[in-house]
Amino acid sequence: MKDNNSNKKYNLFITVLFCVFIFGFGIALLIHMANPTDFSEQENRYLQQAPKFKLGTPDWKGFTEGRDFWKGGNFFSGEFMSDFEEFVTDQFPLRDEWIQLKALGERVLQKKENNGVYYGTDGKTLFAKYTDPSDEELRKRVGYMNTLGVNLIDAGVPVFFSLVPDKSYVWADLLPDNAPNVDTGAMNEAAKELTSNAYYFDLYNALDGADSYYRTDHHWTVMGAKRAYDSLMEQFMIPNPAEPEGEPQMVSDAFYGTTWSSCGAGWIPPDEMHIWVPEGGPHGTISVTGYPEGKPIETPMYNLDKLQVKDKYAMYLGGNQPLCVLRNSEGRGKLLVVRDSYSDSLAPFLALQFQEVHLWDLRYNNMSLKQYVQDNGIQYVLVLYSASNFSTDINLSKLTR
Amino acid sequence: MVFSTPYFLFLYFCAVLLFYYITPLKLRNLVLLILNLIFYGWGEPVYILIMFASIGIDYTHGMLVTRCKAKGNLRGAKMAVASSVIFNLALLFFFKYWDFIAGTLEGFGLHFMPKLGLSLPIGISFYTFQTMSYTIDVYRGDARSQKNIITFGTFVTLFPQLIAGPIIKYKDLDDQLEHRVHTVDKFASGVQRFTVGLSKKVLLANAIGPLWDNYLATPAAELTTVGAWLGILAFSFQLYFDFSGYSDMAIGLGRMLGFEFLENFNYPYLSKSATEFWRRWHISLGSWFREYLYFPLGGSRVKKGRMIFNLLVVWAATGIWHGASWNFLLWGLFYFVCLVVEKLFLLKHIQKLPGWLSHIYALFLVLIGWTIFAVEDLGHMGEYFKAMFGMGAGFINSDTVYYLMNYLPILIIAVVASTPLAKNLWHKLPETARKVVLPVCLMLGLVMSTAYLVDGTYNPFLYFRF
Repeated sequence: MKDNNSNKKYNLFITVLFCVFIFGFGIALLIHMANPTDFSEQENRYLQQAPKFKLGTPDWKGFTEGRDFWKGGNFFSGEFMSDFEEFVTDQFPLRDEWIQLKALGERVLQKKENNGVYYGTDGKTLFAKYTDPSDEELRKRVGYMNTLGVNLIDAGVPVFFSLVPDKSYVWADLLPDNAPNVDTGAMNEAAKELTSNAYYFDLYNALDGADSYYRTDHHWTVMGAKRAYDSLMEQFMIPNPAEPEGEPQMVSDAFYGTTWSSCGAGWIPPDEMHIWVPEGGPHGTISVTGYPEGKPIETPMYNLDKLQVKDKYAMYLGGNQPLCVLRNSEGRGKLLVVRDSYSDSLAPFLALQFQEVHLWDLRYNNMSLKQYVQDNGIQYVLVLYSASNFSTDINLSKLTR
Repeated sequence: MVFSTPYFLFLYFCAVLLFYYITPLKLRNLVLLILNLIFYGWGEPVYILIMFASIGIDYTHGMLVTRCKAKGNLRGAKMAVASSVIFNLALLFFFKYWDFIAGTLEGFGLHFMPKLGLSLPIGISFYTFQTMSYTIDVYRGDARSQKNIITFGTFVTLFPQLIAGPIIKYKDLDDQLEHRVHTVDKFASGVQRFTVGLSKKVLLANAIGPLWDNYLATPAAELTTVGAWLGILAFSFQLYFDFSGYSDMAIGLGRMLGFEFLENFNYPYLSKSATEFWRRWHISLGSWFREYLYFPLGGSRVKKGRMIFNLLVVWAATGIWHGASWNFLLWGLFYFVCLVVEKLFLLKHIQKLPGWLSHIYALFLVLIGWTIFAVEDLGHMGEYFKAMFGMGAGFINSDTVYYLMNYLPILIIAVVASTPLAKNLWHKLPETARKVVLPVCLMLGLVMSTAYLVDGTYNPFLYFRF
């Protein structure tokens, strides 16, 4: 009888333990849902908010024609409920800590990756998975470069084309053994082969160095960008290119990049960020005109306010915009770079050498490139894309307009 | 709604416990019925109508059978059972097999059945079988008809096992529907069972699943022999831990609400023959088919030829029950062949083999079976088999080495978790040690499962086809 009683007490304890866990977090969840978080700094994305309930209006005609009976609603389609479940998951109390706990669990299981990110063998470098495009897709994409080259021949403007190797190519020795989704350099070779009406600049051997990339982000560092600059100048055959004076200066030691964001590896230390070319250039001759809203405004080379937010990489030239022009009264020649985000930290070096550097973003800019080149007296066009963006950006075809 | 979401565990189930236990005993079935309907309607509210139809029609048929039998009208009772079976099968046929048949006919140039493109009501294969068992049991005198439509509705819609089994026969539940005992002991054992199930689903099945997804998506030209076997091994573990995890969760949730459901899995991968496998895998389905299809056809107590025919019918039905696609039918027929061969002569010989050899034999058949089950496209299935038997892109490549190393720890855990080793060790622990370890393991299971659910990058529901 006594044994039975103590068993009962023990089972009551188990019952209470379970109920405290689910009700405790349940109540905390409700409180948090009443006052939800907008943006996750750790994940660098907007979180799902409470969906608005919409019953919709009955639509007999639509129904007979095979469409939903409840027009404009989100209840009978089930959309409300799936949004609501996502809302609950996104607003779960201590979300960041749960995500880090999961990453830790995967680590205990000796997983070499989490959420599409490889853990480097040095224990502090992260690699986003990388996939080459299919042969057919690559042919099509390099084809746009060739078409652009032909288009600009009558304007007398040569087209240069270059791919930035993925971090997994340059730091292959840090990857887990046999990791499948990495840049093997195959696309570089194929692109070199396929480029016929433009000049291909090979950057794949230029970026060796332990500080060429951020450990927690896919971008290159200022040191990496400098190595690319040196290599580009050499391939442009520019003798004695302009050099930045002095050493790189650290501006932040708390940069957690987007690769870190997607894998929740809380134990990985943050990156340092540097600037090398000082604001305005070494002689104060460089000015920057940004077009964030389509109208020209004077902008700084480095937007230090961005160091206070999660997406610190936007510090370089202030982040994505359709067009940005750097002018240096000491420079020579006019260069247009068809850019992705890698170009933002390279542009200050290019501005040392060239009189004008125009950064043209295909994603936000729908003007005719050829027209712009002619109107602005551009002498060289460089299409510079990271291997990963080149494989995926759907805007490349705009180059042929 | 499915169990393995933060929404289910921390909001819906909390609400269930709260409303269920503050309600006086007499009204608990009503509360449960309402909560069940919310559970079912959550994904696709319109399909609640199927629930109402199912409840109404099976309730009426049960009453009809009883009334006819009371009047000595056996013919009438038989008609009522037939009508109920036809209704349930029609429901299943309409939602699950219509488009499949229409598509097949289109292949022959026949267009009189237009494709409807309806989404499959979740769990329809499970609950139509459950309600069918009701009228049949009443007719056979194995169960009394339920006069209270609320109580009957609670049976039809009971949320813990509504969408992924176990398939519960009415006769196993009828007493519990009316009088069930709610004790702390039962609740605590439900907590343990639920946590085990949740951990199986979230920490094991979801962890191994991506390995299979990777090999399913690998083009035939890159599929190596080791890779193909690794892939199907991953699928075998994923399906087992997912499915048996769901059954564990159902049994656990049931206990927390005072119900006791029958077991559905008994370490199937320990089997030493295909025959044994089916006594250990999805027990409630096998038992359903045995009782309501195989035995009525005459079972094994008939001439050999007729018995083989009976088995053919049962296994074709079992196969196609798992999904409206040719590969599932093929999978059923594969087991038909295995079981007939074993029944006719092989089993005698297998039993004489050393244990490990018969074990390898059974696992080989099971893995072949899962390949048929998991690769829906027949052409792709052929390529996959070719790779498995050395006619693919070589023996092994560096990708496969990576996946093998990456998943090795979890695969080892999965192997161990497929055996009763942990359970046996547990029972060897002294009582006091168990009392300390239990809450630690429970919290570890719940906390880690929550972490994986909140991150939630990979969390599929595998039974949308069932």
